[in-house]
Amino acid sequence: MPASSIATDVRGVLATALATSLASVYTSVPETVIPPAVVIVPDSPYLETTTIGKSVTRVKINMTVSAAVAYNNNAGALNQLEVLIIALIGLMPTGYVVGDVSQPTIISVGASNILSADLSVSTYYTQT
Amino acid sequence: MPTTIVTGRDLVLTIATVNYDAQTTAVTLVNAPVITTYQTLDGKAYKHIDDQWTLNMELLADWGVASSLFEAMWTAADTAPNTALAVSLTAVTGAVFTCNVFPVFPTVGGTAPEAQTDTWTMLVNGTPAETFS
Repeated sequence: MPASSIATDVRGVLATALATSLASVYTSVPETVIPPAVVIVPDSPYLETTTIGKSVTRVKINMTVSAAVAYNNNAGALNQLEVLIIALIGLMPTGYVVGDVSQPTIISVGASNILSADLSVSTYYTQT
Repeated sequence: MPTTIVTGRDLVLTIATVNYDAQTTAVTLVNAPVITTYQTLDGKAYKHIDDQWTLNMELLADWGVASSLFEAMWTAADTAPNTALAVSLTAVTGAVFTCNVFPVFPTVGGTAPEAQTDTWTMLVNGTPAETFS
C-alpha cells in the first residue's frame, strides 16, 4: 500500500467529491482561472497538530474552497455564485468540517473580472 | 542545568492495550486528595485520609471506522461496566504511570459545524503506579 499524502488523500478526495457540472475544480491554484471555477487553497494556519503523542502523525488541515464565477452583471453573478456554493456544501464529503462563507469580492484576473467567495473547510489527516 | 520541556507530543496513552494517541487531543491524570481539618486547642491539624484519581481525556469521535475507539469504549461500558481497564500513560520516556479505570459511555453528537468531540472522565481504581527510570 503506497504511503498516504495530503495531495491525494485530502485535496484529491475533496476535489473529486466537489466535482460538479457547475464549475471546474482544481486541487491547487491554477495558472489561469477560467470561471466558473472552484479552487482548493491552503488556509492559515494550514496544518495544526492537535493530538497527543508521536507514534502517529496526525494533523488538522485548514483549507479554503474558493468559488469563482464570471462577473458579467451583479445580480446574475451573485446568484450564480450562491448556487455554486450551496451545491459545494451539499457535495462536501464525510469527515470534512464546513465553516463560513466569506463576503463575495471582485477579483481582476487579466482582462476579466470574477466574483469570488471563500468557503472554509477543515479535516483531519493521519499519515500512513 | 539545561531547561527541560516536555510537551503533549511526548505523551503516550494506551487503554486496554489499544493506543489512543491518534484520537486524543488532551489527557490528564488528576488526584483529588481528601484532607480532613481538625480545629484543636493548639490550632489546626490536618490528616490526609483518602485519594481519588481521575483520568480526564478529550477526544475526537471516530464512530463508524474500523477498530473504532469510541465503539470499543461504548461496548466496554455496556457489557462490563464494573471491569476496570488497564491504562498506561507515558508522560515522557522514563516516566510511565499505570492504573486501572472504569469505562464510561462516550457522548454521542456534536456541534455544527465543528468536529464531533467528547470528554471522558474516568474514575481510577485505587492509586496509579509510577515507574521512573
